[in-house]
Amino acid sequence: MQVTLKDFTKTFDDMTVIDKMNLTVEDGEMLALLGPSGCGKSTTLFAICGIHRINGGQILFGTRDVSNVPSQKRNVGVVFQNYALYPHLTVSENIAFPLSVRGDDKAKIEREVRAIAELTHIEELLARRPAQLSGGQQQRVALARALVRKPDVLLLDEPLANLDAKLRLEMRSEIRRIQLETGITAILVTHDQVEAMSMCDRIAIMNKGEILQIATPTDMYRAPVNKFVAGFLGNPPIVMLEGKASGDGRFIVNGGAGLPLPSRLANIPGDTPLSLGVRPEHFGAAGASQVSGTITFVEPQGRETLFDVTLADGVVLRSIQPAREDVALGHKVAWPLDAEKLLAFDATGQAV
Amino acid sequence: MRTRTSLLGLGFVSPALALLFAFFLMPVVLTTVFAFTNMSTATGITGGSHVITGNLLRDLGNAGIDNDVITALGEASFSVTSETLAAAADAGVEPRFLGEIEARLMGQNFEDARSFESALKSLPSRPTRIRELKLATEPFERSILNTRYASRADMEAAITSMAPDAPAETISTIAEASYTGWRWIDGGNFQTLLDRPETIRIVLNTVFYVAATLAFNVFVGLFLAITTFYLPKTGAGFFSVLWLLPRITPVVLYAVMWKWFTWDNGFLYVIAEQLGLPAFNYMKGSVPTAWATIILVNGFVGASFGMILFSGALRAIPIQQLWASEVDGASRWQQIRQIILPQLRWPILFVTSYQTLSLLSSYEQIWLTTNGGPGSTTTVWALEAFNTALNNYTGNLEYGMGAAMALILVAVGLVLSILYLRMFRFDELVNKPRIEF
Ligand SMILES: Nc1ncnc2c1ncn2[C@@H]1O[C@H](COP(=O)(O)OP(=O)(O)OP(=O)(O)O)[C@@H](O)[C@H]1O
Ligand SMILES: [Mg+2]
Repeated sequence: MQVTLKDFTKTFDDMTVIDKMNLTVEDGEMLALLGPSGCGKSTTLFAICGIHRINGGQILFGTRDVSNVPSQKRNVGVVFQNYALYPHLTVSENIAFPLSVRGDDKAKIEREVRAIAELTHIEELLARRPAQLSGGQQQRVALARALVRKPDVLLLDEPLANLDAKLRLEMRSEIRRIQLETGITAILVTHDQVEAMSMCDRIAIMNKGEILQIATPTDMYRAPVNKFVAGFLGNPPIVMLEGKASGDGRFIVNGGAGLPLPSRLANIPGDTPLSLGVRPEHFGAAGASQVSGTITFVEPQGRETLFDVTLADGVVLRSIQPAREDVALGHKVAWPLDAEKLLAFDATGQAV
Repeated sequence: MRTRTSLLGLGFVSPALALLFAFFLMPVVLTTVFAFTNMSTATGITGGSHVITGNLLRDLGNAGIDNDVITALGEASFSVTSETLAAAADAGVEPRFLGEIEARLMGQNFEDARSFESALKSLPSRPTRIRELKLATEPFERSILNTRYASRADMEAAITSMAPDAPAETISTIAEASYTGWRWIDGGNFQTLLDRPETIRIVLNTVFYVAATLAFNVFVGLFLAITTFYLPKTGAGFFSVLWLLPRITPVVLYAVMWKWFTWDNGFLYVIAEQLGLPAFNYMKGSVPTAWATIILVNGFVGASFGMILFSGALRAIPIQQLWASEVDGASRWQQIRQIILPQLRWPILFVTSYQTLSLLSSYEQIWLTTNGGPGSTTTVWALEAFNTALNNYTGNLEYGMGAAMALILVAVGLVLSILYLRMFRFDELVNKPRIEF
């Protein structure tokens, strides 16, 4: 089911948290709402499922306007960050809850609960209570409960935030598998870029109640619309250099030497203020130009090693390379820079 | 080392033990002791003396003591001894006349007033007026009736002197019966209670009072907690305070307010009159309205207690659970029934048990409002015990009986507490402790 937000506005008391947001989630798509803490991701999610009333605009499920439909009648499944399982009910009663309040008959409930428990791999936990489950197991139960009545939309509010690193990895692919198997339209709220990129078809990146860009993970990473998006995606993060265009296809760092600009910006007039974004993988691997400097920081990460290289004029570039031990702290190096992949932003922060 | 630690431990707990003993155990112990006595205002709570009264003689006669002995004890005699002479001097009998009595009649005994009077008349300086003569005989009268004897031996000696022929065991029985202090009567109080026809009525009243007030407390408490929970926050605070008022108002003021509310020409009365409904003193005018008053008076005090506990428990439920149940399709009612109430189970049980115990022993509000009436239709056990022991209008406070009634209350409360405690413990057993040692 397609979900559309039209000029969605939400205020708490006098504070406008979200102002005229527009967003379309395609049928069967999994979309990530990605953004820093407090940017309004949960607020958007709660508006979609009807927990919050909206203060302006429209929410459409398909063509149906649900803006004023109570949450009970929207047929959405929600997985809350803390799972919100009912502590006094067993796992199977928890999962059966949406069906039993609807008044389904026992046999049907039993059948549906079994089926969904199989899908989420929790068949052997059905008789337990939430307090007797691990975090990952609770997570699966919450997912099963959200899915059991075949909702039109599945909403996930930071579902992996409370899990340890290994379990997070496992549940990431698990949730994606289930979403693909059921073909349900899903919205995942997260502030973890890796989660967003690895699980979702598209990412809507938010900041301060505004959607900055909606794109597939690869597009967004390769071509962020502005400095915020470029800085938010990527780990280790992009290095942003402030300066201006030289007029002859180069970039002059404030108070320092020049770096090459991508050829598409060859004609940019001189003295145009620019920010140049250099991702760590763009320095030290391949490229036409050579940049030399001194290694001032080394961080081995197992498969890869992260270097900070300080150039002659004091500019620090970051480089990530397959693990190597032939260079060390203090060494002078001259590494290639892939100028064509560099990102440039104008004075307002928009990509150029 | 071990002994030192245990001594140290004892040292630490001893203040608590002392307090426990003084404030918790002592009243129960005293109640238990009193319950097996016939203590009352008449007997006093310290020791007593030995007195034979007219009533006692009659009772003894009925109990089959030899009639001759009874008659002998009932008679007065007159004797001239140094004590009676001294008494007569104190009573202001003329000294010359007294000197003559001493000189002529010393050591003599007279069976009745007439013979003593005629003996006195023979004395030269006798008073001329017959009334004065009669007055002068009084100090010489020696009667066992209404005379206090400090010890049993004194009483026995007095009985022997009055009725020398009485057998020793009769004397002993009479001396025993003449004791005015309290004594042990084993289960006598309880037997009396069992035999009294009002007892069953008071028991039923109590059961009804506790059950109805409790139901009111819990349901209204729940209702208030849940409605204020769904109300906007600003209103909720105001309502909480409003419902607390009955509890924080001094009980006497609160009762007076209810009187004003329900009495003749009170608020309800006037309104009922305006509406053409029966208007009378609702508090005391009829049994159903008296009960309604009592249950409401106590119910409103207790409702705030339930409301506060339930509100706390409600707020402890994570809001996401309620959101989850809503998106899961649960209506308000289903949310309350299936998510909220099951999680309020322990607070409800706690309020129920706590309130049962406190209602069982509460009587103040009843005493201040209907005072058990009309008749004794709204008299509960605790009120009856209070009236028996501390508030009897005839003036004879029956401490022993009151204590016996209180003891029964304590026993019932104890049994209930144990039952409730086991119920709570049961919960702990089901939920394994989260913190293990
Ligand atoms: N009930 C509320 N009353 C007032 N302000 C609120 C309320 N809920 C959220 N806000 C505000 O709205 C903004 C967005 O909150 P929201 O919970 O949507 O953030 P989020 O993106 O989900 O953040 P996080 O990643 O920390 O969960 C925040 O500034 C928050 O303070
Ligand atoms: Mg959030």
